[in-house]
Amino acid sequence: MASVLVLNLDAQVNFTTESVPASEYYKMCVVDMNGDFLDDIVSVDHTNINVLMQNENGGFDVVNYPTSYADHIPEWTMAAGDFNADGYNDLVYGGLTGVSFMFSDGTGNAYETVTPGNYVFSQRSNFVDINNDGHLDAFICHDEAPNVYFINDGDNGLVFHQEGLGDYPSGGNYGSVWVDYNNDGLIDLFIAKCGGIEARYTDQLFRNNGDGTYTNVAEEANMDNKTQTWSSAWADYDNDGDMDSFIGISSDLSGGHLLMRNNGDGTFTDVTAGSGFDSFNGESLEHAPADFDNDGYVDIFGNNGRVFYNNGDMTFTPAPAPFSEAATGDLNNDGFMDAFSFGNVYYNDGNSNNWITINTIGTESNRNGIGARIELYSAMGKQIRDVRSGEGFAYMSSLNTHFGIGTDTEIEKIIIRWPSGILDVIENPGINTSLVAVEGEHQMGVDDANAVQFSIYPNPVRDILNVQSKTYENTTYEIFHITGQLVQKGKLENGKINVSKLNKGIFIISLKQNNKKSNLKFIKQ
Amino acid sequence: MIINNLPLQIIRFSCGFAYFAFATVFISCSSDNDDFPTDDEAEEISPVVFNLNEIPYPKLSDYHFFKTPINDMKPVYGVIPYEPISTLFSDYAKKKRFIWMPEGVSAHYVSDGDALNFPEGTILIKNFYYENVLPGNTVKLLETRLMVKKAGEWIFADYIWNEEQADAFYNMEGSFVPVSWNHDGETKEVNYRIPNGVECLTCHNKAEIPLPIGPKPQNLNKNFPYETGQQNQLKKLKDFGYLASYPNQIQTVVDYHDTSQPLELRVRSYLDINCAHCHSDDGFCNYRSPRFAFSRTNDPENLGICIVPDEDISNQVDGNPTHIIKPGLHDESEIFYRMNTVQANIKMPSRGRFLIHEEGVQMISEWIDLLEGNCE
Repeated sequence: MASVLVLNLDAQVNFTTESVPASEYYKMCVVDMNGDFLDDIVSVDHTNINVLMQNENGGFDVVNYPTSYADHIPEWTMAAGDFNADGYNDLVYGGLTGVSFMFSDGTGNAYETVTPGNYVFSQRSNFVDINNDGHLDAFICHDEAPNVYFINDGDNGLVFHQEGLGDYPSGGNYGSVWVDYNNDGLIDLFIAKCGGIEARYTDQLFRNNGDGTYTNVAEEANMDNKTQTWSSAWADYDNDGDMDSFIGISSDLSGGHLLMRNNGDGTFTDVTAGSGFDSFNGESLEHAPADFDNDGYVDIFGNNGRVFYNNGDMTFTPAPAPFSEAATGDLNNDGFMDAFSFGNVYYNDGNSNNWITINTIGTESNRNGIGARIELYSAMGKQIRDVRSGEGFAYMSSLNTHFGIGTDTEIEKIIIRWPSGILDVIENPGINTSLVAVEGEHQMGVDDANAVQFSIYPNPVRDILNVQSKTYENTTYEIFHITGQLVQKGKLENGKINVSKLNKGIFIISLKQNNKKSNLKFIKQ
Repeated sequence: MIINNLPLQIIRFSCGFAYFAFATVFISCSSDNDDFPTDDEAEEISPVVFNLNEIPYPKLSDYHFFKTPINDMKPVYGVIPYEPISTLFSDYAKKKRFIWMPEGVSAHYVSDGDALNFPEGTILIKNFYYENVLPGNTVKLLETRLMVKKAGEWIFADYIWNEEQADAFYNMEGSFVPVSWNHDGETKEVNYRIPNGVECLTCHNKAEIPLPIGPKPQNLNKNFPYETGQQNQLKKLKDFGYLASYPNQIQTVVDYHDTSQPLELRVRSYLDINCAHCHSDDGFCNYRSPRFAFSRTNDPENLGICIVPDEDISNQVDGNPTHIIKPGLHDESEIFYRMNTVQANIKMPSRGRFLIHEEGVQMISEWIDLLEGNCE
């Protein structure tokens, strides 16, 4: 497999490899497991979930959650998402003959094993709100039959479905990505397909019709690619406001890699020629997006020990990396995307570029905000992300939304378009930090002139309420019970308020900074 | 030959029709069955219950394939046993295979390496069982899979044997059955997989058309110990009227268990029966380069010799395979690692086994280590 290696030292990062004690066999997941939005490392097997819980002071604390026997383990794929909306992410294990779910018990201390029993030869799995009812659902590609999905019945029960989201009779479904490709605020589905006769391995693009149904529009979109693919990496590679797609091949039997530029009108154009992917012959099951050098242009990885650095002009330059397929996340809270696979963390050594990470908390929408479109505006222009559970083929990467902003020192605003339709605008957030964004707390029309910009997490909260604000100087707080009674007050010294003594219930925290004031609601558990 | 003293005489002529003693029917005769014994004026009729519209029946006993008790698997007239020369590894399960056809139709030869072209109504029967099953050292039947040619297409039907071993029941849901058995003095265990209906087509397809895998002339061209004596299987099928004709010369596989056979032929026969249905131009894994059909593995490239695999599994195995097959070095050959694992996303075959076929791995390793030459 020949490859072109052009070293562009300005737009590369180095990685430092470190072995970590992820003790269980299936080591495929980087996601926050204890609700503090720090990415943790998850490894699992039939009877244990091993979490290397990222410590805010650095390093990891080992936590094991013994579970009842999971009939199916993630021998093919794994995904995470807060299905039961209790504040802790749940897991789905995609196995050879079925799936098992691990549902958190609401305390962060234990998980319940649920095996629905339906036969599925699992491939890529995702958590996503398929019917946009505010409850997270689960989708699993089926290798041999129409794709299956479990709709959340609103009571966190699983309702099995097998129709309407890729019904080719003998399957061939490998890599599903949920992405709003046509910017209509509704999440769509792209499936990378492989094997058998041409009709079986022709990719599919399901446009969400908004009424609970989806339509395969791949042909009219020019995305009915007939290459042999197990994954595709979706991102706005040219930062023109819509999601482009890199469809990476697993076999060159039916053609090479495809870089498809979104034309903004529901169609895509093949711009592979000259992109760098035309001359790269490596094949891989895995292709996924991440901005590794924080320059604000999303890169691609997964294939043959390379990161394909985005040059900003729909051309990519491969450079060696110590990993191929991996789960990505920020494993040392430094704002640079790290990778985890096969028991090793590949820490991104970083550079001087700036960044921001958005931690979404849905209220009307599903709790993770999966499916939300996040837009960042800074001097270099506009960047977009969709909050996504399940990229590439097998791995589960962070649910935190990461942006590099290059040498920009300010962010004009962040717009979040939630699946519910609610629109939040956060003006001038701080850079080189993470920002918790609770749905509905930054809607336009709030008294902006007199408002303090702040956010709180976790919510619901048990012990420590974290307050995020540009500054804590001259800031006091008051906490009222929803019935109006003042229950606690004080100075906001370091952004942490101990609320453990409050009774369970709903409270309002009122923050006062100089002459400005804002209220936010939170739940005490 | 009249079977018994029925008030109603039912006579079957070699070339014709059921003839009822009190009715008049036309009988047409042709003389194309020269091998057929001519001194019998009538023979047995097959008691198999054949109502194609109702098939698949709810119970295996409904078909009347076997004499009672049916778990003895003793076939009735018209149900002909057969065995391929090299067999699919199914977690050491033993198999008894049979074929039945309706009256007056027969299969046709296509090529040595292609399944026979079977007529409407053909039923292929494959029983899966273990012997010396613990705790009682008994025989345990697990499932009986049927393929039936119906409306021009093959359909699949699986029957699961009950605990009492009295009958088997139609069930396409798939399940796991734990089995422990005494295997040549060693206790082996398996969580035996009974497939879900959608799994059938994954292997049993050519360009998504369902079709049988075993009954190919290359696999059938050997003697079988019938009750009437040893006979070549193709000849038996022809004599019985189930096969129209077949050529004199057939490229035939060998039994990979037979250590008197050349190692390479044993390996190629093994790969054909275990792998070629997916790793073929028209199989689901056609996008990978190996082509494991016996007729194609005289070409080393089709075997994967010195071919760099599309997928790098070196991070997932204890070794560094660089090629699918690397001459002289089985532990640098991907095929060895894929055969020598039960991990779902690496193992090959990817369906149909949950144990390692130790003898198969041993044989392939031996063959690879004896291969000469270098990969660049």
